[in-house]
Amino acid sequence: MADDFEVPKLPTYLEIPKMNEGVMAGDGPFKSVEEFQTPLGFPGAKVDNWQEVAINKMGELKSKYRSVQVFLDACVKCGACTDKCHYFLGSSDPKNMPVARQDLFRSVYRRHFTFAGKYFPKLVGAKELDDAMLDDWYNYFHQCSQCRRCSVFCPYGIDTAEISMAAREVLDAVGIGQKYCNQILGKAITIGNNLGLPEPALRDTLLDLEEEIEEETGVAVKYPLDQKGAEILLITPSADFFAEPHIDGLIGYGKVFHQDGVSWTMSSYASEGANFGMFIGSYDIMRKAALRIRKAALDLEVSRVMVGECGHAWRVAYSFWNTLSGVGAGADISDEHAMKLQNQLDSRYPQPQHIIEYTHDLIQRNKLKFDKSANDDRTVTFHDSCNVARATNMGGIPNGQFILPREVIKAVCNNYVDMERSTIMESTFCCGGGGGLLTDDLMEIRIKGAMPRMQALKEVEKTDAVDTLVAICAICKSQFSKVLPKFDFDPYMIVSAHQLVSEAIIMDKPQTDDSEAEMPIEETITETVE
Amino acid sequence: MAEICGAEVDEEGFLVDLSDWNKEIAVEMAKGDDIELSEEHWDVINFLRDYFEEYQIAPAVRVLTKAIGKQFGKEKGNSKYLYSLFPYGPGKQGCRFAGLPKPTGCI
Amino acid sequence: MRMAREVVLFESLFKSNKWTWLFGWLFHVGLLLVLIRHARYFWPGDLPEIFLLVQPFKYAAFAMVIGLIGLMGRRIAVERIRYISAPSDYLMLILMLVIGISGAVMTFTSNHTDVIMVKQFASGLLTFDWANLPTEVHFLVHIFMVFVLMAIFPISKLLHVPGVFFSPTRNQVDDARKKRHISPWALRQEKEQEVRLNETLGKDE
Ligand code: SF4
Ligand code: SF4
Repeated sequence: MADDFEVPKLPTYLEIPKMNEGVMAGDGPFKSVEEFQTPLGFPGAKVDNWQEVAINKMGELKSKYRSVQVFLDACVKCGACTDKCHYFLGSSDPKNMPVARQDLFRSVYRRHFTFAGKYFPKLVGAKELDDAMLDDWYNYFHQCSQCRRCSVFCPYGIDTAEISMAAREVLDAVGIGQKYCNQILGKAITIGNNLGLPEPALRDTLLDLEEEIEEETGVAVKYPLDQKGAEILLITPSADFFAEPHIDGLIGYGKVFHQDGVSWTMSSYASEGANFGMFIGSYDIMRKAALRIRKAALDLEVSRVMVGECGHAWRVAYSFWNTLSGVGAGADISDEHAMKLQNQLDSRYPQPQHIIEYTHDLIQRNKLKFDKSANDDRTVTFHDSCNVARATNMGGIPNGQFILPREVIKAVCNNYVDMERSTIMESTFCCGGGGGLLTDDLMEIRIKGAMPRMQALKEVEKTDAVDTLVAICAICKSQFSKVLPKFDFDPYMIVSAHQLVSEAIIMDKPQTDDSEAEMPIEETITETVE
Repeated sequence: MAEICGAEVDEEGFLVDLSDWNKEIAVEMAKGDDIELSEEHWDVINFLRDYFEEYQIAPAVRVLTKAIGKQFGKEKGNSKYLYSLFPYGPGKQGCRFAGLPKPTGCI
Repeated sequence: MRMAREVVLFESLFKSNKWTWLFGWLFHVGLLLVLIRHARYFWPGDLPEIFLLVQPFKYAAFAMVIGLIGLMGRRIAVERIRYISAPSDYLMLILMLVIGISGAVMTFTSNHTDVIMVKQFASGLLTFDWANLPTEVHFLVHIFMVFVLMAIFPISKLLHVPGVFFSPTRNQVDDARKKRHISPWALRQEKEQEVRLNETLGKDE
């Protein structure tokens, strides 16, 4: 894996770099092969008449998505977005300026779909889609994490993320896919999760977890799988089962459910919150993945659907599930499955609900008790994950997606500080690994793109001795644990919000209703059991 | 495509056909990463292979550390120890030596 | 509301870049006032009182020109913006500048154009009646450029004017959990594929 680049130094102030043309030029991430392309319905290799196919696809997208057309037409090249992308700030390659990234797509659009571009291509910067352009597309549209930061600052709200999705869709249509995303999607729509964890492995992992928690706390927290008739179906990124530090977040969810006394379950059929269909811009595949969740919810007869800590999962869930699969409200009479599902779902709760909304609500109603001092050895800051911050809401109040996670964190630990205002909330910097870039072959851009976030973190480390970074996104957590050490941070400083919850939560010991949980009794019980 | 001991590997160095695996391949792969496989390495590799045999997937990091700790002593049941054996990560490097597919996802 | 703030104050731009905002906003507000003042050439008969309110703002032309020069300066001086600019971006600015300056010259120098004559001409245009045209050079340049501008309006980036009102990231309502938003093509596709989905949904057990 490419090691031959310099890790950017962290400046005291974030400066706009001087442009260095072509620093990030290259072949892009590994390309997908037939084995991964065919199951998704994409050509296995670059098709012969690719130009024609690509232009037709562009025409189709233009008419399908109003956003794409408006975004392509409305840009006035004001340049406001040019210094807003973390990948430009970290890499200084001008093609990583959002508008320049769009222009790769826009110039071809102009050439083929606008009057001015057809007749005066030079004048308006219209270009033909040739091999070089296609290569640039593949390379630079895989250097966009679809974080939407640029759109916040654009006077027209032009969202480069959407252009990236469109471009990737065109690329897939001509048979050029990204290995990482497409391989994972294949697993997600056949096995049910991105990792490809089959049911027995999942069950075994969860049993292990139950054992561990019981050993540690003496409380039998359960991790039910495929339990019919449970109240809540939890859909969480599969990284929560598999990776560090994610799994400690999963431990946290379980403890909260346990304390609330609610019945819940996960599904082995739909064991994935993440939906990479969005990354590659494919509505159909995104829908396929979302429908697994509908089926699981129907089969398990749950009345609530909840989403774990995952950034774009929450975006898909919040913004698209209702449309894609009917997890929500307001289904059309003619849509039989969605109607059935919505009758089954409990309309007193938001559907779908985020685990943070759930925990927050319990805290508000004093249902959970915490020993905040358990987190006293930490000084914590919160990284707003891009998809949560800029594409969703929580709690149904304006800016709830910023307020709720912070309130949860502050309820379980005493030392909390925010990073510099221009790098959080709606202006948050992406972790650098989102949008399908979380793969080793893109390590260079991942590290460079993390620089702006790392810089803000360095600041609070200096001023407030921050030593813990909290995120509520599986990708953010994985990305940070990889890039933190490159910038001289402790890789273990990144944790889940629910890990902090897990550490501070006071668990009712078994037999509490007997008397006020007297330790000696409880100890004798465990002893006799053994 | 590249080859190791006559077996095809993909661009990331993982075996294309998992049934090609044998001990020489593991040794050769490790050599490429400047690692000499010790007894401890083999303990992990063998565990990975057994687990894969049973579940068709690599174990979660937590499962791996716990199992190693159980079998070979508590002081070995942590990820620091595993990283000392496989600096690129037990999941990725370990799986490659053991002839498992690369675990990919949001990890 | 979000939309209104965006259109009147250019809120997002203010957040992103103060200089661009300053020049951009100056230009657009100047342009707006100037346009309103121009209404007197087209209004049949006497102007309604309300327009008199803006008549004192004849210096708005300066705001507009200063704004334009600022924008032009940025486009040339800042390397990032130079990189993303196509020839048409400069041409458009030059076009506006010429219009602005020639207009300002008419208003503020001694060679005033005969305003009444212009009014006759302009009102005539509305009824496709080509009246006598005043012949001062400034005026000819001015009016010619305006025609050019109007001609290219629908095929150029000036389309950003209506564009902003259509921008999905600025005009959408946040109610996805309560309401199903589905586009016609997706619904059609869903209907067509329904059978297949039913099959797959049943089969995976
Ligand atoms: S969406 Fe994010 S990564 Fe993509 S161009 Fe915009 S700021 Fe950069
Ligand atoms: S901020 Fe918007 S209008 Fe301005 S250059 Fe960027 S994309 Fe274009």
